[in-house]
Amino acid sequence: MNQREPYIIFDDVSYRYPRTRRYALKHLDLTIYKGEFVTVLGENGAGKSTFCQTLNGVAPHSRGGRMRGRITVGGLDTQETTVAELAQKVGIVLEDPETQLFTTSVLSEVAFGPENVGIDPQEILRRAEWALEVVRLTGYEDRAPTALSGGQKQRLAIAAALAMRPAVLALDEATSQLDPIGTVEVFSVIRELNEQYGMTIVMATDKGEEVAQFADRVLVLHEGELVAQGTPREIFADTGLLERVMIRAPQVSQLAIYLQERDTPLADFPITVDEAGRGIVQLIGGAN
Amino acid sequence: MNHDDIAIAIENLEYVYQPHNVKAVNGISFSVRWGEFVGIIGQNGAGKTTVLKNILGLLTPTSGRIIVDGVDTRQTTVADLATRVGFVLQNPDQQLFAQTVEEEIAFGPRNLMLSEVDIQERVEEVIALTGLDQFREEFPPALSKGDRAKVVIASVLAMRPKIIILDEPTTGQDYKGCHQIMQIAHRLHEEGRTVLVVTHHMALVAEYTERTVVLCQGGILLDDATDVVFSQPETLRQTHVAPPQITQLAQALPRELGLPANALTVPQLGDSILSGGHT
Amino acid sequence: MSTLVQYIPGETFFHRLDPRSKIIFMLLITGVIFVVQSLWVAVAVLLTLILVWFLAGLPFSILKGLGKAMVGIIVFLFVVQTLLYPGETILVQPIIPQFIPLIGGMGKIALEGVLFALLLSLRLLAMIIVLPLVSMTTPVHIFSLGLVRLGLPYRLAYTTTTALNLIPILQAEANVIVDAQRLRALQVFEKGKFLDKLKAYPPLITPLVIGAMRRAQLMAVAMDSRAFGATKDRTYVQDIQIRAMDWVFIVLSVLYTALAVTANYLIA
Repeated sequence: MNQREPYIIFDDVSYRYPRTRRYALKHLDLTIYKGEFVTVLGENGAGKSTFCQTLNGVAPHSRGGRMRGRITVGGLDTQETTVAELAQKVGIVLEDPETQLFTTSVLSEVAFGPENVGIDPQEILRRAEWALEVVRLTGYEDRAPTALSGGQKQRLAIAAALAMRPAVLALDEATSQLDPIGTVEVFSVIRELNEQYGMTIVMATDKGEEVAQFADRVLVLHEGELVAQGTPREIFADTGLLERVMIRAPQVSQLAIYLQERDTPLADFPITVDEAGRGIVQLIGGAN
Repeated sequence: MNHDDIAIAIENLEYVYQPHNVKAVNGISFSVRWGEFVGIIGQNGAGKTTVLKNILGLLTPTSGRIIVDGVDTRQTTVADLATRVGFVLQNPDQQLFAQTVEEEIAFGPRNLMLSEVDIQERVEEVIALTGLDQFREEFPPALSKGDRAKVVIASVLAMRPKIIILDEPTTGQDYKGCHQIMQIAHRLHEEGRTVLVVTHHMALVAEYTERTVVLCQGGILLDDATDVVFSQPETLRQTHVAPPQITQLAQALPRELGLPANALTVPQLGDSILSGGHT
Repeated sequence: MSTLVQYIPGETFFHRLDPRSKIIFMLLITGVIFVVQSLWVAVAVLLTLILVWFLAGLPFSILKGLGKAMVGIIVFLFVVQTLLYPGETILVQPIIPQFIPLIGGMGKIALEGVLFALLLSLRLLAMIIVLPLVSMTTPVHIFSLGLVRLGLPYRLAYTTTTALNLIPILQAEANVIVDAQRLRALQVFEKGKFLDKLKAYPPLITPLVIGAMRRAQLMAVAMDSRAFGATKDRTYVQDIQIRAMDWVFIVLSVLYTALAVTANYLIA
């Protein structure tokens, strides 16, 4: 897995929306490598959505506003490249299943992006077939998007992004409106994209437990700044950070901190149920 | 049936959506006693929203009946029920319309034709309860998501309902927002009000509710004390629900350690571990 | 109301027509409706449209609903035109009894007024049938493609048709909002006076408008993210084709229009 090829580079990036004085992103310096599964954590308003929208140039091109510094995606400077071109490098899935689907059939939804850039219809159909297979919606081509469940809608949105054959998939709180099964469906598809197809994933999310399970690396934003980055274990064990920034750590990690604060730490900091289980058995077993 | 200690009695409720003849609710019955804090869970499509709408009088049962605060929902108006049951919408933006937070909160009481003095009193009361003092003059849609949700809760509380129903209040909220909202719900419960929360957030259900009703495909799968409900992960799987992680951990630990088999919160399991187990 | 514009799948002749034929038909008929002055021609056009409605397999219930929705306006038209339209053939005069001081003896109803009101009503009814006739038999993206192939720039065609797509969504949204306000004891819809109903609009309009604006912004981001408007040479997975039956239909439409316009000038 250690092909550490930098794919997205933020060089002292600051950005503010039009007609606002406050900067939504402040002096971000970071690198995301090809094939990584990166999650972005932070409170509401920390800049997670904005961050996702800078990846494909929606910020600043569509949203307006002022950007300083430089973002390079797959070698392209986002400020010098059109959103249309960046859309073929970075696909984005938004939070609300309703507003990002706007055609009358699943197939036309997936075809929308490639049609816009003038891809040959036969090629579009090939891409659509692949994309629908990956998200497990094969056979749904003629269904109306409005008739799908929340989880299915988000998977369709993923397929629509995949049809552009991007190298990166950015997800902006894509599971926050879904029920548990929808959430599982979406994470399962994303994991497959990352592990089997080597797709780089940048996911803004709140769900600590899923982060612990899937992410290679975590970026923590707070009031527009990158205040921490590391593996899930490093982040969830950082009590100082967790006090400053209210992010949701997995409950098992919260338990470890609870014990730690009462001078009874576990030997190894857990981020999954299995790890915590072993740690507790060891702790109590050792004490007895 | 004696309804004196029952806030909401649902008796054999059936609901069929026309024109497509879809049976969303399949003859369910359950009661909520005054002062209970109940969680309602189940996957989307299980019938939760339909049940709520029937309780509020927005829908009329196809068969069966619902008694709210001693009144049959079929025999009274939505407006009347609104004074007994406060309903907090999932999406605050579908309700906010006033120029200021105060005006928004005053809207409900004003519809009830109360005196200005009464209205002001209620506005002050709920602003204090929800911590919105600094936002009084703000334009509600301009506030953060968490604060918008609080404005909606405040405006519902201004109706002084004895029963409060929150529909997925944590959707789109961050960690801080979730806790602020649940803290308000908790405070309302401590004041003696009856609270129902519909949510997907199992950790919050475990932490705050005493009783949980699990809906699955229009019927009730489980209806019991929260810890009892979460002690049955196999059954919960039918409606694609899993207990919170801490409970899963507790269930996975060897019983010989003497730890609570279905711990609902981090402190609960933590304290037990600290006392060496066997508590 | 949402069912007025939403596509109802079907296999009728009208469904299978190329959207361009239907658009041309729509434009021609609308033109006729605008110029018609003869009552007979107006009746003929309305009956033709109703006939096409049934040939297209569309439900009578919706047609009835459309009619019912227009009742208020038609009544209004009748009242205004019968009172104000100048005419020689007096039916009722005066309207205000003589004995009332100052304004006694004023007002008259002329036959011309009644007939004019009838003409306007027929034209109105014809107008509101035309769009649903086309939108209910043509999937929105096909309709949009039809506009593009007729020469409309893609972005413009898309903007027009997106509006059609949004109607059912906004309708559903409006319902939720009304429910939300009913839950705050807004009793106006159950037992309110007209003026009160007017005052009740801010709680309904504001969330709807703000919601629509938010939705529009999010949609714009989603569309840009999929390269909307990237190139003029956009491709289409589902293409349309003019066939023999389309030519026949277009020719018939043109002939019909010519006939209607001629008859109109001859009679009126």
